[in-house]
Amino acid sequence: MSWLSLLVFSPLIGILLLTITPKHNANMAKLVGVIGAVIPFLLSLIVFQTFHAGNELSEKLTWMTLGQDAFQFTINYELGVNGFSLILLLLTTLISLLSMVIARTQVKTSWRSYYILCLLLELGILGVFAAENLILFFIFFELTLLPMFLLIGKWGGLEREKAAYSYLIYNGLGSAALLIVFVALIAKTGTSNMTELMTIVPQLDDGFRMGAFIGLLLAFGVKLPIIPLHTWMVRVHVYAPTALVMIHAGVLLKIGAYGLIRFGLGFFPAEFENMAPLIAILGIVNLLYGAFIALVQQELRRILAYSSVSHMGIVLIGIAAVNEAGVQGAIFQTVSHGLIAALFFLLVGVLIERTGTTELKKLGGLAKVMPVTAGVLLTAALASLGLPGMSGFVSEFMAFLGLFETLPILAAIGTLGLILTAVYMLRAVLNITFGEGPTYPENLRPLSGTEGWPVFILLGMIVLIGVYPTVLTDMLSTTLETILIGMGG
Amino acid sequence: MLEYAWIIPVFPLLSFVLLILLRQTVTDKSSYIGIGLSGVSLILSGVVLLAQMSQGNLIKSVSWLSIGNIELTVGYLVNPLNAMMLVLVSLVSFLVHIYSMGYMKEDSRLNVFYAYLGLFTFAMLALVLSPNLLQIYMFWELVGLGSFLLIGFYFYKKEARQAAKKAFIMTRIGDIGLLIGIILLFWQTGSLELTSIFAAVEAGAMEEGMITLIAILIFVGAIGKSGQFPLHSWLPDAMEGPTPVSALIHAATMVAAGVYLVATLFPLYEASETAMLVVATIGAFTAIFAATIALVQKDLKRVLAYSTVSQLGYMMLALGSAGYVAGVFHLMTHAFFKALLFLAAGSVIHAVHTQNIEKMGGLWKKMKWTGPLFLIGALAISGFPLLSGFFSKEEILLAAWGEGHYVLFVLALIAAFLTAFYMFRLFFMVFTSPAKTNNVVKESPKSMTFPMIVLGALAVVAGYLNTPWFGTFLGDWLTAGNGFVEAHHAEGPIWIMLVTILLSLGGIYLAYVIYHKKSLERDFLSSTFPIAYTVMYNRYFVDEFYQMTVGYGARALGYLGVFLEKYIVNVIASLCSEIVQGIGKQGSKLQNGQVQTYGAVVFVGLVIILAVAVMQGGVFQ
Repeated sequence: MSWLSLLVFSPLIGILLLTITPKHNANMAKLVGVIGAVIPFLLSLIVFQTFHAGNELSEKLTWMTLGQDAFQFTINYELGVNGFSLILLLLTTLISLLSMVIARTQVKTSWRSYYILCLLLELGILGVFAAENLILFFIFFELTLLPMFLLIGKWGGLEREKAAYSYLIYNGLGSAALLIVFVALIAKTGTSNMTELMTIVPQLDDGFRMGAFIGLLLAFGVKLPIIPLHTWMVRVHVYAPTALVMIHAGVLLKIGAYGLIRFGLGFFPAEFENMAPLIAILGIVNLLYGAFIALVQQELRRILAYSSVSHMGIVLIGIAAVNEAGVQGAIFQTVSHGLIAALFFLLVGVLIERTGTTELKKLGGLAKVMPVTAGVLLTAALASLGLPGMSGFVSEFMAFLGLFETLPILAAIGTLGLILTAVYMLRAVLNITFGEGPTYPENLRPLSGTEGWPVFILLGMIVLIGVYPTVLTDMLSTTLETILIGMGG
Repeated sequence: MLEYAWIIPVFPLLSFVLLILLRQTVTDKSSYIGIGLSGVSLILSGVVLLAQMSQGNLIKSVSWLSIGNIELTVGYLVNPLNAMMLVLVSLVSFLVHIYSMGYMKEDSRLNVFYAYLGLFTFAMLALVLSPNLLQIYMFWELVGLGSFLLIGFYFYKKEARQAAKKAFIMTRIGDIGLLIGIILLFWQTGSLELTSIFAAVEAGAMEEGMITLIAILIFVGAIGKSGQFPLHSWLPDAMEGPTPVSALIHAATMVAAGVYLVATLFPLYEASETAMLVVATIGAFTAIFAATIALVQKDLKRVLAYSTVSQLGYMMLALGSAGYVAGVFHLMTHAFFKALLFLAAGSVIHAVHTQNIEKMGGLWKKMKWTGPLFLIGALAISGFPLLSGFFSKEEILLAAWGEGHYVLFVLALIAAFLTAFYMFRLFFMVFTSPAKTNNVVKESPKSMTFPMIVLGALAVVAGYLNTPWFGTFLGDWLTAGNGFVEAHHAEGPIWIMLVTILLSLGGIYLAYVIYHKKSLERDFLSSTFPIAYTVMYNRYFVDEFYQMTVGYGARALGYLGVFLEKYIVNVIASLCSEIVQGIGKQGSKLQNGQVQTYGAVVFVGLVIILAVAVMQGGVFQ
């Protein structure tokens, strides 16, 4: 077994350990849960090291054979990584770990089952990013659905059940679309290996390609999400437990971007180029629609949800540029938003725990009572609005740099979103941190140690990418070339 | 030494990091950390300036971000303009650091204040060292951050919150113009390095229309940062910040960044007459527009803020009239006398605890240092002969005249008269009118008067760097070290100088008559032109206009989005889920456990299959 398989299935160790921990020993469950998340994190570092040393990571086993003779069909177990998926693997293990550390204080009941489901979710996500063939990808993709559904439904807030169901219905429909596309592709080409498909698919006939492309856009459009497929995601942001939203907004949504780049750009470069204006328009609609709604919301989690919608628009804008700058910008935005969203929801959790509310009207003057938390919240907002020196700037700059080359007019319209982001972010955060506050409970705890270091790790990553973006570009250069090889120019 | 120029911004950054990390443990010593580290920057800036004069320019850069074959770099550039800005910024910053020791002494968040000052100084120094547009843009945003944090320093005040937010957003609107300009320029020239861009412009690689578009977009950024019309209204509100900050950021350095940007990109602007005309027109209009508002404001700092806006307009007018040297020269002299005026105003506010000039008076005798120093500043900005402002303003007027912008020239002349008038309105009301209260007023401590004395001396002598009488040292140096800028020696008829002197003295005299001798009624003008007075007092209702249009417009769109969300998207979504559920329900009805139903379904199915088979003529053949 290679490191990659170990990494993908490593959350199982934690799950097994958790099943044998005594049911009522909460502290033990928390400890085991965190250890269960540390293992994949360490393994992902090993995988990273191996990748950097230039060693082979991919693996291939024959899994099962269906049918007979001429209709024989083999399904392989194939894992592999490229620069992009490796970055996402690292992001997944890191954010899962931080989320589970935070969950110790922010989740209030049944830690044991919470951690089991979280680790299962992590397994699914890791599998999605490491899968090298469509069938495996789909299985892992489905594997993320169920734990998430249960986690929202059981540990969520006010309307948790509604949120859980709408999550399931939307993503179920997305999966259905994905399944149809995958089955059609496999039936048509006889292979499910992604690398092989990258060369075969562009030779298929136009009508089929267009249909499959639209199916993919729909499937990953739910995940990203593309407007108007986003309502489930707003509900999850608002009603899921905040520690879970760190994973949800931080990495789970990134499957949409990953799929669009890996399959969309990888399999259907010609369609992508033809439909680039449409995708750019979708991106701009996401960017502006999300921003305008965020501008008038009264509750922080809703604002952040629409801000996610808005920021995912930048991913679409970058992809629509169909050039190196744009795609690299989209990838950067994927990572950057993951980090920033995780940081935000960590702080939202802190805020809820201390003050019991996220309503803007009931908050204010937080800088006086919790200066560090307020400072970090402001920093997160600045990162989110794309201040240079932090990761958001690099990604926005590249995405727009890309789009200005190919579709300058649309890009110019899109830049309006950059102003709006500043407006709604500052409105929300200054309302909470500045001004006169309500009378808070006496004993507002400052940011504690266990909350502190996850915050500073996330901040550190955000600043690192912003100041020294080469950390990511080095890993991406070959991947980008592979993805863009199908492009005309 | 030039090779180490990059280290200059590192010290203030270090100050920021140290003060943030150490937090409460250094509260009362934070001023020493801040002063010490900014002092090091000042010394090094001086050394770099001297080194530049002897060794010439230097440019160095390293790779920062690669996108495929595109290589974006960061680095540093030392040329005369940059070296001058380095010294200017670190000097004013150093003085403000010292001044704050007295002014902010009682503030419990002194360490935060000095940390922010350090952050700002770092960004500003790094900005003026930047050799490429991407780096300029990055630090351009970061100085905005410093400004934002310091305006909002008194975060618990509602006004401070609004002002900070407004400053950030209005400058960001400008910044987006700048960003688009930079990106367009990149796709036109394939590089963001200033040198390659100028080479491309000189080689005629771009169409003039494109150059005009890009130059104007970049100018939009400068409009935002330098508080030019129509993005000026954040700057007066920024006075909510502590006064030392107003002196450093909102008078001497950051707001001049827009002027610096246009000056840095001067070859690009020179290539487009339209762009030059736009710059000059906006500048001249802003100069007079802001001056009229300054006439009637009652808040000491706001008058100075509008005065800053107006003076920045002068600098833009100069650049737009091909007066590269004039614009940069005025940038420098203005930094000295305006920082002086703000620090003196801070000293007054520190002593009397109000910013309302109606409540001040009789301070001339009570504040032995502040009074005369304020007078020096006021004389300098009014263009009183032989002080620094006189020479630099003269250069600007000559440039405007020389370019044939006669209308703009007249506007600038009127603005010069208004400047002298409103400055001395301030002076007479604050210092020589009878005292309004019996409160004990004490002169500020030495830490506050010392920086003012230094600035006062500079406000007097800085003009002699570039005079028609003794030599144009500054101008020769600036143009000699910048291969892309030609030396324009603005020369004009001698009557221009006489008229300027007359207007300056006339303004002072009018203020004297109204506010000191009181031989003219104070409300003589406001009662003669009541409508004009109301309009000016309300700052031409610009803020109200923005609120009505942009403010409400954006919110309306927001509510429209919420409406769409609620009644369109959600309805369609629930329709979808209902369809799915409906199908599911119909399906589950079939599974009701009644064998008869199952049998019927099986039978019907069989019949259908048979019928299809028969019609196809398939199975039985």
